[in-house]
Amino acid sequence: MTYAVETVGLTKYYDSFLAVDHISFQVRKGEIFGFLGPNGAGKTTTIRMLTGVSTPTDGTASIMGYDIVRQSVEAKALMGIVPDVSNVYDELSAWDNLVFTGELYGMPKRRLQEKAEALLRRFGLYDRRGEKVVGFSRGMKRKVCIAMALVNDSEVLFLDEPTSGLDVESVREIRQMVRALNEEGLTIFLTTHNLEEANQMCDRIAIINRGKIAAIDTPERLRQIARNVQSVEVAFNETPGDLVDELQRLAAVTSVEKRGDKYRIFTNEPPLVLREIWAYAEKRSLTPISISTLGPSFEDVFVKLTGKEMEKELVREGKAATQNAGRGGER
Amino acid sequence: MSKVSKWDELQRSWVIAMKDMKIYYLRPAPIMFGVMFPFTLFLSFAVGRDVPIAKLAPLLLAQTLFWASSSVGPVSIPVERRVRTFDRYLSAPLSLVSVLFGKTLAGVLYGLSISTLAVALCIFAFGTAITDAFVLILGMGLASLGFSAMGIMFASIPTQNPGEVMMPMNFIRIPMLFISGLYIPVSQLPTIGQAAAFLSPLTHTLDLMEYGLGGSSHFGIPVNVAVLVLYTLLFIGIGISFHRRIMKTQ
Repeated sequence: MTYAVETVGLTKYYDSFLAVDHISFQVRKGEIFGFLGPNGAGKTTTIRMLTGVSTPTDGTASIMGYDIVRQSVEAKALMGIVPDVSNVYDELSAWDNLVFTGELYGMPKRRLQEKAEALLRRFGLYDRRGEKVVGFSRGMKRKVCIAMALVNDSEVLFLDEPTSGLDVESVREIRQMVRALNEEGLTIFLTTHNLEEANQMCDRIAIINRGKIAAIDTPERLRQIARNVQSVEVAFNETPGDLVDELQRLAAVTSVEKRGDKYRIFTNEPPLVLREIWAYAEKRSLTPISISTLGPSFEDVFVKLTGKEMEKELVREGKAATQNAGRGGER
Repeated sequence: MSKVSKWDELQRSWVIAMKDMKIYYLRPAPIMFGVMFPFTLFLSFAVGRDVPIAKLAPLLLAQTLFWASSSVGPVSIPVERRVRTFDRYLSAPLSLVSVLFGKTLAGVLYGLSISTLAVALCIFAFGTAITDAFVLILGMGLASLGFSAMGIMFASIPTQNPGEVMMPMNFIRIPMLFISGLYIPVSQLPTIGQAAAFLSPLTHTLDLMEYGLGGSSHFGIPVNVAVLVLYTLLFIGIGISFHRRIMKTQ
C-alpha cells in the first residue's frame, strides 16, 4: 500500500542536539493527520524534512511513494506547504504570488490562470487580487499562503500551525477550509500545539515530545489513555477564599483546581463527590450555579503522555487570539 | 505524473530570475552597490586626470559588471531566508542547482542591464568605438555570470542579514580593484602584483573590455576566457556545496 506520507527512522541532529529521534509513522491517503506537540518538540523540524527544506540526518521519508531525498522533484510536485509563518511575497499582488507559485511548479498558463482565479474567489480575495500583499491582514495573508499551496493541484497539504496567532474569525474560516479541502480528497498533515484543534479536526493524531513519537491513534482512543482522570466542575454564587482547601477535604477528592470562577474537582468517583458537594453547599449556604461531570480531556491525555503542562501555552495562545481579535486583524 | 526535464528546470530558474527582477532590482542595496558605486569610483578616478575619457571606457564597463552582477544575490538570498520565501524554492519541484541558477541569472541580467547603459554612455557621451563586438559581448556575458556566481557563493553564508554577506564580500571586492589593473596597468605592476592580477577575475574582465573597445588584452583572449570560465565554475560549485551544507545543518 502506498501511503500519502511515510517515514522510517527519520532523524535530525543540529550539531550534537537530537531534534527528531528516529520517528516512523504512516499517513493514509485522504486523512487529516495531526502532528501534536509542545513548542520545541520537533514538529517543524519534521515538516521541514518532509517537505525537502531540510535534509534528514538519517532515515527516510516518502510522499505518495516518492523518496523526498532521492526523488525529491517528483515528491515535491505532489505537495503544498503552508509554513508556520505566511511566507508570501509582500511586494507582489495576491494574483502574482499565485502565478509565480504555479510557474514554479511548471503549470500550463491557461490552467494556472483558471486555478488562480478559482482559488482567489474561493478564499474571498478575488476583488483584491491586484493589491500588493503587504497591505493585507494576517488572516488574509494566511489565505494567500494556503491558496499558493493549493495552486499546483497538490495531493498532500502540509499545514504548520495554520491558525497560530490569528483572530477567532480567521481561525474558524481556516478550519472550515481545511475540512472542505479534506472532503475533496486532499490528504492533510497538520502540525499544531493546539490540543482542541487537533481533537476537532484530525482523523488520527501523533503526539511528539522531545523528538520522539509518544503515541499515534484516533483522538477518542487517545482519550482512553487518561480514562482514570475524571472530574466534577462546579461554580457557586459566591467564591469564599478558603473554598479550594475545603473542597479538597471532601471524600474521594484527589485534587482541586480553581479555573476562572469554577472549581475543577478531580476524583475517581464522581457520583460520591456530587453528593458531597451538595451537602457542603447546604452547610455553607452556597448555591451551585452550574455543575457538570467531565471525562478526561485531551489535555489530560497530553499531560499523561508527555508529562508537559500545556496550560501556559494555551493561555499564551488565548491571549494572542484576543489581542488579534481586538485589533480586528493585524495589518 | 510527467517527468520534470532539464528544460522544465531551466524555465523555472527563469521564473525565479524574473520574480527577483521585480522585487530586488530597485532595492537600495543593489542600486547603491550596483549603480552608484561603480559610477562614483569611475568618476573619482577619471575626473581631473590627463587621460582621454574615451580611454577609460573599459574601466567603467569592467566596474559596472563587477559591482552590479555581484550585488543582487547577496541581497535577495538573505532577505528570502529571513521572510522564509527561500523555503518555497526548496520545497518546489526543482533542484537546488536550478534554484541557485535562477538566482545567478537575476544577477547576470542586472549586471548586463547596467553595463549596457554604461556601453551606451561610452558610445554616445564619450565617443568610444566598439572594435570587436563579439569579444565585448562575450566578455560582458562571462563576467556577469562569474561575478553573479561570486555573489551567490557569498550568499551561502548562513545569515538572514544582507549586511553580513556584503561585509565579507567587500573585503574581497575592494582589494580586487587595486590588483586588477583598473588604476595601475598590469604591465606596470611588480612581478608579484602581476601574479596577483592574473588570479583576479576582474583583470580578465578588464582585458576583454579593453580588447572589445579598441585596446589590447594583456594576458590574451583565450586566457581571459578560460580564467573567467574556471572562476564561474568554482564559484557555482562552492555556492552549491555550501547551500547543501546549510540544508543539512539547519
